[in-house]
Amino acid sequence: MKEACATAEKAAGAEDRLLPAEFSGLYTSHSRAIYYLALRFLGDPQKAEDATHDVFLKAIRKAEQFRGEASARTWLYRIAINHCRNLQRVWHDRHVFAASDSEVWEQTAGGESPLRILETKELGDRIQKALDGLPEEHRLLLLLVSDEELSYEEVGALTGQSAEAVRGKLHRGRKAFAALFAKTE
Amino acid sequence: MKQKLTTGQQQEQSAETRSEKTTAKEFASVEELLRHDAAQTAVPPEIAQRLRQSLEESPPPRRSWWRKLFS
Repeated sequence: MKEACATAEKAAGAEDRLLPAEFSGLYTSHSRAIYYLALRFLGDPQKAEDATHDVFLKAIRKAEQFRGEASARTWLYRIAINHCRNLQRVWHDRHVFAASDSEVWEQTAGGESPLRILETKELGDRIQKALDGLPEEHRLLLLLVSDEELSYEEVGALTGQSAEAVRGKLHRGRKAFAALFAKTE
Repeated sequence: MKQKLTTGQQQEQSAETRSEKTTAKEFASVEELLRHDAAQTAVPPEIAQRLRQSLEESPPPRRSWWRKLFS
């Protein structure tokens, strides 16, 4: 995995050099996080590519609005979340599980157990299917807390709720994800 | 906030998985699984190229506040 990451970072670094020097640092540091959020939130690689481009372009153009009160990562996430939500409202082309699907929630009654999976090329597809089955809020929370650079407080600020509320919703979101993920086998 | 990763690896012994050279991984949490997925996800190089093109067509103003982003 480390080799894959190093290769990906190297490739990303090569592309970053295409950008003007003053923006390449921002892009190098955060493009993976923003692209991954867009990819798994929107569920479509092409839309995620478009969204990532638009988010960074918007960030660069609106940089005067960045007051340094939050980290650049948090600021970019805020732009990305708004952008992706707007896209979803416009597209209306996603096939999503009903958020209140009782069967899904009933299956989450058990304890949280480790996810043992076989790493295959289909892993990403399985993760996407499980995320697609979650309500948007839980999907977004899981994606944000999986970024180790963000604290629960920052995730709460990004999603308009307290850190405690984030913790509570995550508990349920994790169980629902596990149940949905198991269904993808 | 974040749990330390405790990923275990185990070679799958069954014939069908052996032939596919798959690796069994255990993730202690959903977040760990997603972090693994994110690490495996490459950012398409086209994004940087498109961004450069967009910036060339309409360059943003150069201002000192940029320093805040990188400080």
